[in-house]
Amino acid sequence: MKNVWLRNLVALLAVALFGAVGPQTAAAQAKTIKLGCAISFTGAKSRSGKLYRDAYNMAVKQVNDDGGVKVGGEAYQLKIVYYDDKSNPGESSKLIEKLLAEDKVNFLLGPYSSGITIPDSLVARRYRVPMIEGGGASGKIFSHGNKYVFGTLPPAGQYFKSTLEMTQTLKPAPKTLALLYADDKFDVSVAEGTKKLAAGMGLKIVLFEKYAEHTSDFNSILTKIKAANAEMVLVAGHTEESLNFTQQAKELNVSPKLIGMTVGPSEADFRKSLGADANYIFGVASWSPQMNFPGFLLPDTQEFVKKFKAKFNYDPDYHNASAFANVAVFKDAIERAGSLDAAAVRNAIAKTDLKTIYGRVRFAKNGQMKGASVVLQIQGGEVYQVFPDGVRPPIYPFPAWKSRR
Amino acid sequence: MLLQILVNGLLKGGLYALMAIGMSLIWGVMDIINIAHGSFIMLGAFITYWLFTILGIDPFLSLLFSVTFLFLFGYAVQRYLINYVIRAGAFITLILAFGIEIFINNLALVSWTADVRKVKVSYGAANFAIGDLVTIPTVRLIAFGLVILISLIFFLILNRTNLGRSIRATSQDLDAARLMGVDVAGTYAITFGMGVGAAGAAGTLWSILFPISPMMGGALTLKSFVVVIIGGLGSMLGPILGGLALGIAEAFGSNWFGATYENLIGFTILVLVLIFRPKGILGGTS
Repeated sequence: MKNVWLRNLVALLAVALFGAVGPQTAAAQAKTIKLGCAISFTGAKSRSGKLYRDAYNMAVKQVNDDGGVKVGGEAYQLKIVYYDDKSNPGESSKLIEKLLAEDKVNFLLGPYSSGITIPDSLVARRYRVPMIEGGGASGKIFSHGNKYVFGTLPPAGQYFKSTLEMTQTLKPAPKTLALLYADDKFDVSVAEGTKKLAAGMGLKIVLFEKYAEHTSDFNSILTKIKAANAEMVLVAGHTEESLNFTQQAKELNVSPKLIGMTVGPSEADFRKSLGADANYIFGVASWSPQMNFPGFLLPDTQEFVKKFKAKFNYDPDYHNASAFANVAVFKDAIERAGSLDAAAVRNAIAKTDLKTIYGRVRFAKNGQMKGASVVLQIQGGEVYQVFPDGVRPPIYPFPAWKSRR
Repeated sequence: MLLQILVNGLLKGGLYALMAIGMSLIWGVMDIINIAHGSFIMLGAFITYWLFTILGIDPFLSLLFSVTFLFLFGYAVQRYLINYVIRAGAFITLILAFGIEIFINNLALVSWTADVRKVKVSYGAANFAIGDLVTIPTVRLIAFGLVILISLIFFLILNRTNLGRSIRATSQDLDAARLMGVDVAGTYAITFGMGVGAAGAAGTLWSILFPISPMMGGALTLKSFVVVIIGGLGSMLGPILGGLALGIAEAFGSNWFGATYENLIGFTILVLVLIFRPKGILGGTS
């Protein structure tokens, strides 16, 4: 009896002194950098949340397969700690707090949507831990002087800039504009920015209409558009709203000369859901799969598109690419900082000048990426970049619903 | 344009009425506020979606399946779940319905993911124009016809059949009905089944018009709730009037004040109705 007790004691001491042995502990000993991420697994934003998670996971796997992040001669594996924010900003900021205080994550990856990024980034500032996010573009994220948030989407106010510039090249150029936008922070920023840009280009805004987020019925707005006889309609909303808007435009036979949308056209879901009715609709994106940049984690954009499609069985869009770039920027910045110190890494991120599959990433003083969006159009069920440097010319005007098929 | 707005409002109202009629029946007869109503609509929509996507069954044909399935499902839910607590009062059944809602929604979320899906029928956006004045979306018009048909069926069942007499008897005086030999539990289950079946029909129509996803139910429950309150309980005409009133008010309101105020308009009407006609438009003033 006494022997057993003694043996246990010795074993215990051995564990305490030298650490436990065996395969499990080998993994625990491998150095890891923990990235925390509270993002939507469920709720209204879960679809887009998945786009980010897929790309985060793919990028992290790529980093780890290639030997991890090298800091001071040692290789660290990346690991993401996820929580489900249920598409709720209040929930999300609580989870960020938990990630930082309990899970002791080293750095933060962003959630999806501006509304959720704002409270999350404020928690990051309080803990002085840098967050790189690819899912929030509202100027409000970057206007608080928060030094700990970096975003890889172009400023929301500039989203439609390329679309408006494109219209100046069309013949005859549309002169009247109806602008619809959801009442959330991102879309309000888009609308206000677009309004200013349009006025500067001499376009007449005949309808400037805000609608409640998650609106399913656009009949009254469409009736107004028809009455106002707008030549061009721009919609700043979310995928479901874009879907509803398009189908109901057809239901009510409203055919302006140009329909452009922020979120929707670039996503595979949108085209799958609408089929041929999605044709000729314009979208904007900070990135498109037809671009080709030399990359950081992967050789170039086309390699990313191919690998992504093989892995997840859908076409990547700018959400995916932006998220992929977030991880790339972390690896680059941590290696340049040469330490895991939050302040050092924060400063390294600020000085980023990195060629990624998403394009060249540099941050402005406020933390938002320098860059502009491109115009896409759905033609024959596929998305093409049409401006600037389009792979295909834009089709304009929009063929009236009645004249199709 | 005014005519078009009126038509938009009327057709939207028809859709609201179709959504609300089942909730109204269940509420009126059993005093159960079925919070899970929107989830049942969601199930109807997904049944249509899967039948269409996998088997290529036309959505209007799948109406038969969604209504039948949801009738049976509703029957079972009432018979083997809600009946156990029905005597405990409206609050307990409300909580149970809430639980059922959470269960159904999350089961749907796990099984079908949160993807937004769409029943892609060629006639989804079909329409016809009357002169240059008004464009009428055909599917919405059919939904309008369907709600009148369903309410007529409900009306006939309630007023012309023995089953209807049992339903009304249990609704008016539970104990007396039981003493007269009415199978209360069975009657309740059939009533709940009818209400949920109507939700299935609403779901099918909804899936033709709008994209669907597992979490769509909550907003629909809320709309149905407003419609039922506005219309008043106890008559098949209530949800129709309530739906049309809400649809037209929203259409004109969002035209005059802007689309953001759509929900505000609905709830303002709700509050006004509660103040001035607490039992609904048809329910009298007492």
